[in-house]
Amino acid sequence: MSILTFIKQDAVHLNTARVALFLTAILLVPVVFGIGYYLNMMIFIAILSLPAMGLSLLSGLSGQLAISHGAFFAIGAYASAILSTNIGINPVLSTLLAQMIVALVAAAIGAVVLRLRSHYLAIATLSFAIIVELVIKEWSGLTGGMQGMLNIPAMGALGREATSDIQYYYIYWPITALLLLFALNLSSSRIGRALRAIREGEPIVDSLGIQAAEYKIGIYIISSVFAGVGGALYAHFVGFVTPATGSIMFAIEIIMVLALGGFDRLWGALVGVVLITLLNEYALGFADYKKIILGVTLIAVMLVFPRGLLPGLIDLARSNKYGRTA
Amino acid sequence: MLRVSALEKRFGGLAALNDVSFSVAPGQIKSVIGPNGAGKTTLFNLIAGTLSPSAGDIHLDGVSIAGLPAAAIGAAGVARTFQQPRVFASLSILENAMLGGHRFHKGGFLACGLGLRHTRREEEKLRARAEKWLDFAGIQSIKHRNASELPLGQQRYVEIARAMATGAKLILMDEPAAGLDETETKELGEMVRAIRGTGTTVLIIDHHMDFIMSLADEVLVLNFGQWLAEGTPSQIQNSEIVIEAYLGSDDDA
Repeated sequence: MSILTFIKQDAVHLNTARVALFLTAILLVPVVFGIGYYLNMMIFIAILSLPAMGLSLLSGLSGQLAISHGAFFAIGAYASAILSTNIGINPVLSTLLAQMIVALVAAAIGAVVLRLRSHYLAIATLSFAIIVELVIKEWSGLTGGMQGMLNIPAMGALGREATSDIQYYYIYWPITALLLLFALNLSSSRIGRALRAIREGEPIVDSLGIQAAEYKIGIYIISSVFAGVGGALYAHFVGFVTPATGSIMFAIEIIMVLALGGFDRLWGALVGVVLITLLNEYALGFADYKKIILGVTLIAVMLVFPRGLLPGLIDLARSNKYGRTA
Repeated sequence: MLRVSALEKRFGGLAALNDVSFSVAPGQIKSVIGPNGAGKTTLFNLIAGTLSPSAGDIHLDGVSIAGLPAAAIGAAGVARTFQQPRVFASLSILENAMLGGHRFHKGGFLACGLGLRHTRREEEKLRARAEKWLDFAGIQSIKHRNASELPLGQQRYVEIARAMATGAKLILMDEPAAGLDETETKELGEMVRAIRGTGTTVLIIDHHMDFIMSLADEVLVLNFGQWLAEGTPSQIQNSEIVIEAYLGSDDDA
């Protein structure tokens, strides 16, 4: 009882307790189920959760959607790949350095684009995504062009490298869990509060002596770095990158993830990633009509449940329950 | 503490405010009255930085604030309440008040994300500051409710707590008694006096003559964007030029 009340008083404690529980469960999965093909899928879920959580932070707190998360995933992947493959920096360090590049680019884009509101942000970030895709395809001296880059070193440092899926599993999930904790803390902190207020009325926030623009740019940078980390982890896990890595189609899949899991909840982003991974794996994998199905589903979900499928269904279940008792 | 000199605001060719000068002494309740379209809200928007003046100057404690961005003027010590209460509807009342004190407390993106102990202590201090002003505004007991659930009259008190938490030297209140009944208006008058009691200066727009006349230390009258008269409530009540302006507007209505 006393521990529970203690935890309840402090959002950071509550977040930490939840994420610790979650991570423990995740880390026990291979112990219980043994090593199998599913590990590979779970590693991709850990990776994809990062851009999804990043976008969820942005849309949940500032109410804006960006189509640049595929591009930042690509920048993170290519920057870390180039730094480690061409320059020989170890992958742990190159993953971190790549994030500085992502943050700088995001700051520049944010400073220009965040004066725009809602769907204007989407359109402006879409043009940025198109430019990034073009640069990756055309600057073949640096990026390998359409062929992409091969033989990217495995994740590791100081001569110790991950060699098997189970090792990646135990490296990547703690990273994803820590970044989830970071995002949850940020969301329940004064920063999250200020951003929610800005979403409702930027002029009022300004009148309180708070520089609203700084917060909007800040969350855009953090959100983009989440995607950048995902990209770097991806590059070192699969060992190659191509222009398809972090394409605009990928950015739209991330939006699809939020449409399934909810646009304003970080845990929902995780659920969304699981759903879309299962869809890709068992229903749509190689189908030509995958894009059509995703597109139609996206439109349908957003028409019926503007906050996302999962929150929409939860609301529906609740209202049914109350409907019956009333 | 506030000095407005030859202030002018033009929208295209139209002067919404023309050559208006006045000053407000520290710790005073000064009221701005005038018929509709007199330029009262424009005056507030200029002082708060929502609009930039076309000409003239505004000094707060001797420092020019005219044309500064709204956030800078807010940080310089000017807070406001709006004609239609503008609370953050999806946030709790406590969070609304905490946003008032937001700028006094530290915690950047990284510190907050990492959940550093220091940030959490700052958060406790911010909460204490907010609760002090919720207490002051008499809404401490409902602090966990969503601001959107409150009736208009109570949303006004959320705005007041939020404004006081900014540590403002000057509060601009735009028709705070709009939509209130007699008892509520009386209570609001007490609240405004309590604000003055903290040493905060109040500049207040209102249409309710009884309310203003019993409350204000000084009254400024605007008419068609022009300075018309200034003085104590009794001077204003007996001023022929003011009575004429008001009778004129009554005829129009």
